[in-house]
Amino acid sequence: MNIQPNTNLLEIHHVSAGYGKLSVIHDINIKIQSGQIVALLGSNGLGKTTILRTIIGQTKLIEGKILFDGKDITTEKTHLRAAKGISYCPEGRAIFGNLSCRENLQAGGYLLDSNKDFQKNLEWVYSLFPILKEREHQIAESLSGGEQEMLAISRALMSNPKLMLLDEPSLGLAPQIVQRIALTLREINTSGVSVLLVEQNAHLALELASYGYLMKKGTVTLEGSTQELANNDFVKKVYLGAH
Amino acid sequence: MSYLIQQTINALGWGSVIGLLGAGYTMTFGIIGLVNFAHGEVMMVGGFFAFFLISLLNLPFWVGAIASLAGAILTGVLVERICFKPVREAGMITLFITSLGASIVIKNLAIIFFGDQLNPIEIPSFMQGVYLVGDLIFFKKTILILTITLIIGITLSLFVKKTKLGVAMRSISYDSQMSQTMGINTEKVIIFTFVISSALCGICGIYWSILFGAISSSMGTYAVVAAFITSVVGGIGNITGALVTGYILAIGGSLFAAFLPPELVGMKPLFLWIVFFAILLFKPSGLFRANIK
Repeated sequence: MNIQPNTNLLEIHHVSAGYGKLSVIHDINIKIQSGQIVALLGSNGLGKTTILRTIIGQTKLIEGKILFDGKDITTEKTHLRAAKGISYCPEGRAIFGNLSCRENLQAGGYLLDSNKDFQKNLEWVYSLFPILKEREHQIAESLSGGEQEMLAISRALMSNPKLMLLDEPSLGLAPQIVQRIALTLREINTSGVSVLLVEQNAHLALELASYGYLMKKGTVTLEGSTQELANNDFVKKVYLGAH
Repeated sequence: MSYLIQQTINALGWGSVIGLLGAGYTMTFGIIGLVNFAHGEVMMVGGFFAFFLISLLNLPFWVGAIASLAGAILTGVLVERICFKPVREAGMITLFITSLGASIVIKNLAIIFFGDQLNPIEIPSFMQGVYLVGDLIFFKKTILILTITLIIGITLSLFVKKTKLGVAMRSISYDSQMSQTMGINTEKVIIFTFVISSALCGICGIYWSILFGAISSSMGTYAVVAAFITSVVGGIGNITGALVTGYILAIGGSLFAAFLPPELVGMKPLFLWIVFFAILLFKPSGLFRANIK
């Protein structure tokens, strides 16, 4: 029995995953420490979203192991992984368009034990994103893109997660809104939520994260602290040059 | 004028039946995309449980009513586990065909064993008779059914809007995968939905016996079509919407028949289809807010 204290919140060992027998991601090894923001970088369609979906249990794992908070969650069902403290904010927000803002947050807080906990978290997310309180009873479908992103992030926070999987929060949003969300993400991270961030916007990703993994063709080709990555010639040329 | 009001009053019993049936139908339609052709048979089995206990074993009516609930829930959940769960991921068409198969099997088993004749159920004397208000006739049984439906309707509405489980049902209807990521055990919620939906069928079986005094093996066949239309016109997944729509369709159908020339009175069922296609043409999402994407 390994008695060494495990400081890693999330460990992904040699994971391949995909659809049917076709693996989209191969031999992925990722570690996230408690309190970190870790970025997954790379252009579209290379498996970054698939990694998040595999962690939460929506994409079938073909090979490898996933450890969360010291426990093996490789074969566990999605709702049980969520109960362990992982939450998911997918690409495109995926808010419940038929529910009001507040009801979306109720769904996010499904695992909370008491109404008091729910009220506390509700107040917290309203302090992070005041516009959501204004739109409290509005149907989520009618919210703007930026507001939906704020709602999706807030919904993922309602359950007091240890780790938030965040996929492309800046997609389709105006720069001012992206900056506001970025600031709030830092605040959320400071409060104790670790984040695994998938972002095509490399500037934003390197600004927020302390460690990053660069993906190409379904595997990790480069990893390092964001400082190292920002100074890497390849990264500079391909991902930072255009901006 | 009072003739039209009377027609409206007469439609309230049937409105309660298709309203509740539609409410249960829309629940399972919303949550797993199931167009459930076996819904009528679940009501029929409930009705038969009531028939056995009340008419054959001479037990009190309320015992038969509870038996109807129990029989319907048992049937509904069994059909879900055996017929629907294995093909949950296979798409709406497969689910629909499976439900059609279940419907055919259950109905014809009933016909083989019990025939397709009307099986009478005697209702308690307090439910018989009428109240006269001026020109208008109110059947006591209609008032009873309306009262029960109102209570059920309010309860369902509060449940769906105010409880965590109600929010879970509606979020699963919109996006089942996303709901799981919030820790919602979608499997448990789906089974629970079928229990409630089947219980409503059981209640409709009791309503049927009260309104028509008899049940038969093929009583579900027409009713399920009405339930389907009610659920689509009301907005898929909207439970209170379906309930209200049931009354709208029943009253509308009555008034429609009232204006038909005598030789065309048999065309009354056409009304449902006219409304159905009108909604699909002009407001396909339904009269009230749907709960699906």
